[in-house]
Amino acid sequence: MRKYISPIGKEGLYVLDTASWRTYRPVMDKEACIECGACMSFCPVNSIYRDQEKKYYISYDYCKGCGICANECPKDAITMMLEGEGENE
Amino acid sequence: MSYLDVLSESKDLVTPGMSACQGCGGELILRKVLQISGENTIIGIPPGCMAGAGVVGWNFSNGLKIPVHIPLLDNTASLLSGVTAMYQKMGREDVNIIGLAGDGATADCGFQSLSAAAERGEHMLYVCYDNEGYMNTGFQRSSTTFKGSQTSTTPVGKVKKGKKENRKNIPMIMAMHGAAYVATASPGHMKDMVEKIEKGIAASKHGFAYLHIISPCPTGWVSKPECGIDLAKKAVKSNYFPLFEVEEGVWRRTVPNPKPIPVTDFIAGLRKFKHLGEDELAEIQEYVDKNNELLEKLTREVS
Amino acid sequence: MSKIQALTGNYSASYGAALCKPDVIAAYPITPQSSVVEKLAQFSADGEISASMVEVESEHSAMSVVQGAVMAGGRAFTATSAQGLALMYEPYFRMSTLRLPMVMALATREMTSPETVWSGQQDAVSVRDAGWMQVFVENNQEILDMIIQGYKIAEDPNILLPLNVCYDGFYLSHLSERVEIPEQAEVDAFLPPYKSRHAILDPKEPMAVDPLTPGNILIEYRKSHLEAMQEALAKIEEVNKEFADQFGRNYGGAIDTYCMDDAEIAILTIGSMTGTGREAVDEARKKGIKVGLIKVRFLRPFPVERIREALKGVKAWASIDRSVVFGWNSGPVFMETRAAVGNADSTCNFSAIGGLGGADISLDDITGCIETLDKLKTEPGKKDTLWFSKPVE
Repeated sequence: MRKYISPIGKEGLYVLDTASWRTYRPVMDKEACIECGACMSFCPVNSIYRDQEKKYYISYDYCKGCGICANECPKDAITMMLEGEGENE
Repeated sequence: MSYLDVLSESKDLVTPGMSACQGCGGELILRKVLQISGENTIIGIPPGCMAGAGVVGWNFSNGLKIPVHIPLLDNTASLLSGVTAMYQKMGREDVNIIGLAGDGATADCGFQSLSAAAERGEHMLYVCYDNEGYMNTGFQRSSTTFKGSQTSTTPVGKVKKGKKENRKNIPMIMAMHGAAYVATASPGHMKDMVEKIEKGIAASKHGFAYLHIISPCPTGWVSKPECGIDLAKKAVKSNYFPLFEVEEGVWRRTVPNPKPIPVTDFIAGLRKFKHLGEDELAEIQEYVDKNNELLEKLTREVS
Repeated sequence: MSKIQALTGNYSASYGAALCKPDVIAAYPITPQSSVVEKLAQFSADGEISASMVEVESEHSAMSVVQGAVMAGGRAFTATSAQGLALMYEPYFRMSTLRLPMVMALATREMTSPETVWSGQQDAVSVRDAGWMQVFVENNQEILDMIIQGYKIAEDPNILLPLNVCYDGFYLSHLSERVEIPEQAEVDAFLPPYKSRHAILDPKEPMAVDPLTPGNILIEYRKSHLEAMQEALAKIEEVNKEFADQFGRNYGGAIDTYCMDDAEIAILTIGSMTGTGREAVDEARKKGIKVGLIKVRFLRPFPVERIREALKGVKAWASIDRSVVFGWNSGPVFMETRAAVGNADSTCNFSAIGGLGGADISLDDITGCIETLDKLKTEPGKKDTLWFSKPVE
């Protein structure tokens, strides 16, 4: 039985399914990407990663679909598409 | 290491899924601060948007991957003073002691303990994410709320038109405490922000470091979520939120702004200012200009 | 060898705290507590203690600093009075509900208004439901001894609760008395070092301290807190005995009694008035009144069983309080004792209140109280409150 002394949280990480909030999803045109890193650095949820080859990719696991990455991309390489439309990566 | 390398190669220590609003500046700031400080960190996050969004945990779980406590709204700096005193006593100065609080917990009820901790030179980094109001409880006015802003406690009605007073200039007040490091930052200028977080952490090893970061708030400011970074940039470019740092008494404008845009370019995207007429907008421009003149005087010698 | 010195109550508190080797001390000056923090600052300036002194700007911050220090695994100490206690209430309540053990000296003082700086226990009794343990002491030796005992009780793994050592402002804080200061080695043998484990801020063991907690879980924490309070009742007796065995001073545990074996009537006292109370008992006994005295030492946890036991067979009793309970027309010890005995209406009892705002509780006052009890002892039931008041004409 759990011992109640002080209220503490150390039984795992508290995680919300924020992907379910999304109405629009960002879709990246890898050809147009100039690898400037703006999308990664401005994403509030840290859902954009850079791989070993310094290529950027979007993870949809927790992306809330705020659209900052699309708005900040200097090459308009990211498009916000209605969930369910367009191609999945 | 470039700032992009830093951000790309460091670990995100915040829960991947937290209930901050879409496009929240606070979430962005929290994640970046902890990416840079790393796992050897203790953080205090008082009531506010970030704590409310679940990063201090729920039931028996933690919202972060590092030790975190939710201090009272008004004692972040004093509670962390006790933590840092203990860590110094144990000879564990390598542990980063960080406070991350909203403007209400910083500039209003928490200001007494903040001011005292800065005066004592407590070894910690205190980060204020300034979204210009008590956003977690429905956008009430704080002392950093800009003049003219519509808030739930300074509503626009038949005779009153939003907040009557100018904001309290907390970063300048903190600089006047003689803290080891004081800087303003904007997530729209990420390289500058990353460098200031790094400097702040370094300074917290020998004194009190304070970062005041503008935090775009789509919900409270009533702006589009995708525009947060754009707004953070415009706030800087209009001198509404100039970027500077003060290190050992030397003031430096880190992002010079020789050709400022009119403050109306920033304000245009925000419904909280929508009710303002030409006269009121001119007053805001005048305040921004005066504030900038003061900053120019303080930084002139070295910039 | 312990050394003997004439010490004020405040200095006695400082010596007591120093002997417990706190890691962090944070306190803010307030009358009549100030010389506690001044003395500790001097100890620190002279290199006699290794504690980090955090010179805070308010009591709110004092309690916040020590809270952070205990959360970081340390032992902490602070001291305050009245308005300072009121100002620190927010982190004060949290200290106990986060189950962070520490000792705080409280030089008790009347609460403003009317504007006052003098003695009274209204400050301490106003926070008796904030989850701290509270012991009220009679003399300066007991201040020092209870600070040492206090850490031992507070840090017990089955208790983990903070403790207030309450002593009457001015009457004890500024009065010099003979105090035996034990050797550091003796105290070290009695009080082992403390390291928090159950709630700690340490990157080596990452946890959230105080995540958002809904009611169904919160109630479990409250239950556990109340259980710890009840367990403390036994611990108080155990530590008292252990202390008596080692240092030769026995305080009786949660309560102390005087001439109660054959007592028909009893007075209950709290704090420094107890000395006068004993003298009044001696005087009354000379006149053939079978009176005894119960010194209520712990108000939290309240020693229900021991008080019930002590009052068994007593026909009439009165409590003497240096504070009031608004809404009950009585003092707090009276209210608590009525609740504890269970058969309150089968005996004669009343509340006596005096000594507010620095007023004296004289031998005459207590003698009068005993004589009133003696007169009324055959009439069971609650009688009018007896005020030790001498209003200005």
